[in-house]
Amino acid sequence: MKKKLTLVLLLVSLLMMFGVRAVVAQDTFFGKTAAELFPDSSDSERELAFKALMAANIPDGRALGEGKTITIGTLGQGARGGISGTIYFWRPAFEAATGATVEIVEIPYGQLGTTIPADFLTGQYTYDAFVAAAWQYGDWVSNEWIQPIDAWIGDERFPAWALEDVAPPFRALLQWGGQTYGTQMDGDAQLLYYRNDILNDPAWQEQFKAETGKDMVVPPQTWQQLYDITNFFNGKDWNNDGDPDDGISLHLKAGGQGHFHYATLAASFAVTPADGDDAMAVSKFDNVFWFDPDDMTPLINQPGHVAALEFLQQLAATGQEAQFGWELGAAWDNFLQGNAIATFSWGDVGSLSQDPGRSIIKGNLGAAVIPCSDTWYDRETGEFVTNTDAPNCVGNTTGGSWHPVMSAFTDEPDLTYFFMSMIANPVINFYDATTGWQGIDPCCTYQLFPPRGDATPDDYAAVGFDASDMERYIAAYGENVFSKPTSLTYLRIPGTLEYIQNSLDVRLSEAMTGQKTAQEALDATAEDWADITESLGVESQLEIYQQAIGYAGS
Amino acid sequence: MDAASSLSSSIQTTHSKPGYLPGTSRIGRYLLIGLAFFFTFLAISPFLFALTTSFKTQTDSIDGTVIPFIQYQPTLINWEQEFGLGGTETFKSLRNSALIALGSTLIATILGTLAGYGLGRFKYGIGNRNLVSWFMSQRFLPPIASVIPFVLLFRDLKLIDTLPGMVIINATFTLPFAVLIMRDFFADFPQELIEAALVDGAGHFQTFRDIALPLATPALVASVIICFSFAWNEYLFASVLATKEWKPYPMLVAGSDSVRGIMFGFVTTRMLIAVTVPVFLSLLVQRYIVRGLTFGAVKG
Amino acid sequence: MLVLKPMMQKTSAKYFFLMPGVLWILAFTLFPLVYSLYLSFTDFRLGKEPQFVGTKNYVEILGLDGEGGDDKALETATFSLFLTLGSTSMTLIMGTLIAWVFNHDLPMLRQMRAIITMPLFAAPIALGFLGVVIFNETNGPLNNILQGLGFERIQWIIDPWGARFAVLITDTWQWTPFVFIVVLAAMQSIPEDLYESARLDTRSNWILFRRITFPLIAPALGTVALLRLVETIKILDIPISLTGGGPGAATQTYSYYVYQIGLRGSFQLGDASALSYLVVIIAIIISSIYFWRVRARFD
Repeated sequence: MKKKLTLVLLLVSLLMMFGVRAVVAQDTFFGKTAAELFPDSSDSERELAFKALMAANIPDGRALGEGKTITIGTLGQGARGGISGTIYFWRPAFEAATGATVEIVEIPYGQLGTTIPADFLTGQYTYDAFVAAAWQYGDWVSNEWIQPIDAWIGDERFPAWALEDVAPPFRALLQWGGQTYGTQMDGDAQLLYYRNDILNDPAWQEQFKAETGKDMVVPPQTWQQLYDITNFFNGKDWNNDGDPDDGISLHLKAGGQGHFHYATLAASFAVTPADGDDAMAVSKFDNVFWFDPDDMTPLINQPGHVAALEFLQQLAATGQEAQFGWELGAAWDNFLQGNAIATFSWGDVGSLSQDPGRSIIKGNLGAAVIPCSDTWYDRETGEFVTNTDAPNCVGNTTGGSWHPVMSAFTDEPDLTYFFMSMIANPVINFYDATTGWQGIDPCCTYQLFPPRGDATPDDYAAVGFDASDMERYIAAYGENVFSKPTSLTYLRIPGTLEYIQNSLDVRLSEAMTGQKTAQEALDATAEDWADITESLGVESQLEIYQQAIGYAGS
Repeated sequence: MDAASSLSSSIQTTHSKPGYLPGTSRIGRYLLIGLAFFFTFLAISPFLFALTTSFKTQTDSIDGTVIPFIQYQPTLINWEQEFGLGGTETFKSLRNSALIALGSTLIATILGTLAGYGLGRFKYGIGNRNLVSWFMSQRFLPPIASVIPFVLLFRDLKLIDTLPGMVIINATFTLPFAVLIMRDFFADFPQELIEAALVDGAGHFQTFRDIALPLATPALVASVIICFSFAWNEYLFASVLATKEWKPYPMLVAGSDSVRGIMFGFVTTRMLIAVTVPVFLSLLVQRYIVRGLTFGAVKG
Repeated sequence: MLVLKPMMQKTSAKYFFLMPGVLWILAFTLFPLVYSLYLSFTDFRLGKEPQFVGTKNYVEILGLDGEGGDDKALETATFSLFLTLGSTSMTLIMGTLIAWVFNHDLPMLRQMRAIITMPLFAAPIALGFLGVVIFNETNGPLNNILQGLGFERIQWIIDPWGARFAVLITDTWQWTPFVFIVVLAAMQSIPEDLYESARLDTRSNWILFRRITFPLIAPALGTVALLRLVETIKILDIPISLTGGGPGAATQTYSYYVYQIGLRGSFQLGDASALSYLVVIIAIIISSIYFWRVRARFD
């Protein structure tokens, strides 16, 4: 009897030792297995994410975080949605590394202008950090709701990331008045996407030449060339599915961020680079798009802007009418499902095109830097300029470039920064930008190919991306931020949401759906803007605007 | 007790009379049945469409198909997302919604029943109509105008993002419905039976509690379900007053519309979760609702 | 349990029943109401100190300064009026019709009645999102059905009138059950013998309805019409989630406009409060007419 019991005990302890050994043998991150850290992921996703996490060299943060709780507010669409998905995705890993708890508060897109300001204005201070759009910096900084994080950057107690890795136009969005407020997460810029296979098909090229009398330029260098292409393909069954297909695919619903399409396009119709060595130098007439930097007069109804909107109306007519009711997702899906020849939109299209669950165009993705315009308006001379040999080229960083900023009222700045820098870590950020569904777009040298960065096509092949698609996509991304002579100034003064969402976006939708002409719509916008500026205070707005665009006076 | 039971039977006769329209011809009858089915289909088909959409991926969700397995391959991805990695937030806000709705319904129904009884039974110097009108006027002001003053008030009372705060706001704005429903019920209440109870020596409150209240079940239930679903579905006040801990579920529903556009499968999933509780409750108490929402039609 | 004197005086009793509700509402709404009335006479923006500006906000909105007033307020108020009248009349007509059908002795009535009430209990914000799926122009079920029946596909989202009707239909769909329940309750309380005696004179269902049913359900219809009017004037959730106020500003309701300037981005609470009080005045006028004229006949 006793003997038997001893034997059983021995066996049990042996088994236990074996069991423990099995667990130890398995890779863990602060004692957590990949299955615990990424519970909802598919096997392949879990493997890649875990690999990235292990390579990120996250330091031990348990001294900072044990038993504490921080609250992250984020633009939200649930655990697998764009932007908020990133926060949910890495939360278990952060909690393992620090012993802290993260509470996530989702903020609906339409509520961004309500929830965050209301929280601060009424003294709630709910968030330790929040992930929102860079265009709100004007409100946040001038009201002192967020605090600079320069003191933390480079501190070895925290996950590593470097400002120097971030391409200058995106870096500028993390900063204000020489100080850094945000950590890198998402780099928004609009690119041109097209069907590489169709546009390079000699048969189509020949027919194009026969019909239009011009050579098809692939990729199109100017908006006018793009129009010729989308106009040619619109209504033809070029994907052989039996019904007519589209030229362009845009999202133009009111509240569906169509105003970004307009800004990206209008930049090369309305912005002129400076003449001297520094093409990006801001003067009264050069490199300004939104307001006159001397007196805040809205420029939105200037002839260049009106011409751009009229062009956008024409371009949109080379796609289906339903796009006036589309938000981003619908416009992307139309392109990703192979029904449109081109679109211009954010980096998401590049990574989503590689997702077999959502796209059928993997391997056929064409991507290029946003086109130039062969006609533009020079406000200094008051005349339109047309030059097909040397078109006007203006890059952009339109979009939210969603990233976390630290509340000025947080009680746990160290722990909060730990979270922010972990998301900004190059390995983790690289992984995020390859998922597509997270909505994280490339921003940094570690994502770009030489000479602008140090990524290789192999890095992308490792996550299952098509090498030739990536070559075009990543090259275009790099060109946009490094090779355009100048870039559209980013509007981020107090009230940006009012100017853009409450006014411009609505007026554009009126113009696109034929309720107003381009001129009427933009005149109405200019009127709205003057009212908004007046109610916010012309003097203070002017001062912040000049600071935001780097205008030193005429 | 005697008074109560005799009253009960008299009320039952007024209310339980079927009151159906007299029968029509056979063809007319088929036509009516057809119409009834048609209206029922109109009411339920959007829910069914939502249900089928919630089992679709984003790509499938825009292709216009409706029949799972045959037309498209159903997936649980949306439901997993909501209850898996996002489960903490989902369950928390569902709990919040439930507690907020229950608390405010309790308060609104108690206060509303008392006031409704008062208004139905007594004459007030200021004018009963004026009083009812005043209660209803609480619903006139668009919430936008009062929400920020509420924030300021609640901030000083330390009620922002608390259960009592959310209960108070919802109780306040559902109370008018409770008053209206209960007043209309008690206004039709046979006064002579109440007088009889009073003559028998019962106090006013006792009469209310023992005679009137037990017979008010249909109206009470109607009031409860209306208050509950209004509170459960309230979005605007919550979007400002519940910053984190006490966010109700409609806040998550609103969050389904993101910067990337609408993910149809996910939106319909959250929408279905949101409607489940009030719809389920309403089905449970279905037979009372019709009898409770009479709004003065029943003359005692 | 409340401990009360067994023989409460009638006077004290009637205040005992009424006052808890009155005090509750006063406690929580008096300050917000008075404060927002005060704000309507200031140029208050959240985050800045309010300056008293007298009736300037009202004058500017109504155009009493000769500058034409607030165009957007007028446009959005027009749409709100369209919705309010449209939805109230549609829900009343549909609700009464369905109630009339269900007031016959038909099989499975109980089950169908339960299903029909479902839309009433759904969150409007969620219904708006559901509407985006249903009204989808390219592949939405509604357009597919219309096409299947041989009709034109309707541009529910991009045509201003299409979008306006999409909002109207969604709101009508949600609230018809409410009217239905109330009217059905009213119809079922009509004694059967009334119909039977009338049958001797006519066989027309329409005459029966007009002579007997309608007069007897009229009080209930009146109450429910008032409730619908007051609630629809404030409609906001459905435009927010269904159309985003678009295309352009075609489906921005008055409440949407107030919400936009008061709570989204700008927090111009002075203007927003003034705009809101203008609605309150209209709502009070409507309900006063109701309570003094219509209801007086029946009480």
